[in-house]
Amino acid sequence: MRLFLRDQWAFLTMFFIQLFLLILIFALDGYWNPSLISYAVFLCFFFGGCFLAFRYLSNRLVYQRLSAPVRTLEELTLAHGNSPLGRAMDQTFQDQYRLFKEQLHAYETKQRDHTTFIQQWVHQMKTPISVIHLLLQDEDDPRVESVREEVDRIKRGLETVLYSARLDRFEQDFLIEPVSLRRLAQNVVSENKRLFIRNQIYPELAVDEHWVVESDEKWLSFVLNQLLTNAVRYSDKKGSKVTIRSFARGKHVVLEVEDSGIGIPSEDIQRVYQPYFTGENGRKYPESTGMGLYLVKEICGRLSHEVELESKVGVGTKVRIIFFAVVPTLQERKLDES
Amino acid sequence: MSTIMIVEDDPKINQLLQGQLVKYGYETVNVENFEQVLDVFTRANPDLVLLDVNLPKFDGFYWCRQIRLVSNCPILFISARESKMDQVMALENGADDYITKPFDYDVVLAKIRSQLRRAYGIYAAQESERTFEVAGLRLFLERMELTMHGEKVELSKKEALLLEALLNQYPRVVSRERLLEKLWDEQFVDENTLNVYITRVRGKLKELGLDGAIETVRGSGYRLKVTWEDGQ
Repeated sequence: MRLFLRDQWAFLTMFFIQLFLLILIFALDGYWNPSLISYAVFLCFFFGGCFLAFRYLSNRLVYQRLSAPVRTLEELTLAHGNSPLGRAMDQTFQDQYRLFKEQLHAYETKQRDHTTFIQQWVHQMKTPISVIHLLLQDEDDPRVESVREEVDRIKRGLETVLYSARLDRFEQDFLIEPVSLRRLAQNVVSENKRLFIRNQIYPELAVDEHWVVESDEKWLSFVLNQLLTNAVRYSDKKGSKVTIRSFARGKHVVLEVEDSGIGIPSEDIQRVYQPYFTGENGRKYPESTGMGLYLVKEICGRLSHEVELESKVGVGTKVRIIFFAVVPTLQERKLDES
Repeated sequence: MSTIMIVEDDPKINQLLQGQLVKYGYETVNVENFEQVLDVFTRANPDLVLLDVNLPKFDGFYWCRQIRLVSNCPILFISARESKMDQVMALENGADDYITKPFDYDVVLAKIRSQLRRAYGIYAAQESERTFEVAGLRLFLERMELTMHGEKVELSKKEALLLEALLNQYPRVVSRERLLEKLWDEQFVDENTLNVYITRVRGKLKELGLDGAIETVRGSGYRLKVTWEDGQ
């Protein structure tokens, strides 16, 4: 309504000027008859009011829509009433919407093609890596050891690429099932055994056998993989430990990875989850991509787990994943029943 | 002797796998024409199939279904795809297990052995028992025994693994890292534990009358040294 009045201010001004002129002409002509004048004024107001009411009613939808904030794209396709203005607006909006959709669609297709390409490419790269991996397995030479290290690094990199590409299609690529935390941690640790041995960092596994949570094993493995890689990479002292432990916090279960490494400066802690953020440690360790914790946070968010990080420079870092959906194990169920 | 059919279109992986399997006493069947996987299968009648997913023409899932129509033999998938869906697909199509690339020989061999054992009983597994021998010192990996001139000592699993590495690499040096990696399965192993195991293995060798058979190479690792032949 306010928009309508503001839109009509020129008309209203003109209406009052005309009214004023009308009265003025009557008065100057010496034809001063109050009842006739008021009748004329009344007629002017009546027809002016009718005009405005008609305008308003026929274009009401246009004004209402124009003054309300746009919340969804689909609003663009709603009709604006039957007036010529409304119909013209419908037409324009629809054209714009169509154009916009077309372009969006083109980008979506492009993006999807790109993701598919990346995934295929990563898989193609896996074949040469498999070959190198197999070729090196029976060799035992310091130089071969170093090549093996690089192969591991490429593998890790490819994994990160694959998982971040897959993140877009997360909804089609996960399966929630009971996951045993201990088994998961054990698998991930043994997948990374070369990394641990090479850096002379030793894992300590303090995860109770009976913790089972609702999660996707594949994605959760990737998350834990990232956390362990970080923990090893930022552990400075040889022979130090990385501890993986689990404990209950109220009704929830927490999985914690603790290292006694260099820690994260407090001014960086707020930003570690941002993509590509490497912070001060990233400058010291050129291998940091800044994607690890970002992916961890994203994936955990989608799996409805929470991530916590606690760190002190020179003391170490603790990263915790909090699981809300804990599966009661058979044992506990039996205890409950009895 | 068990026959294993390899369906893998990458020639190098194929060749390496084949070499490794032959080394461990298996007979291998190779597929060259990927349109006739089933024909090769029926002709060779292998005890186990290693099947890649990405193949020219038809994929591994297709061939798995085809093989299942005529046989119940164990089928192991080897693939670079590791999404849950692919693994589910493989099992739904009749596979027995799924190995993702890049893989370790140890893993493939262990899975092959376990499938063979399950399908054909314990007898088949013993047939392909791995033994390592250096100058009369013989290690039976499955039985975890070490023999020398008819004398025999029992080994623990970790001791057997250590000796396997040393005998397999003889006369080269095995690095400490490599040994740690080998020993590290469920429980992680640190440097001190490795020292303990080395000491124990030396003890076992001494029981067979072999002294100083494991030589420490400073800064690098350990090496098996044949000290006993000169005295004979």
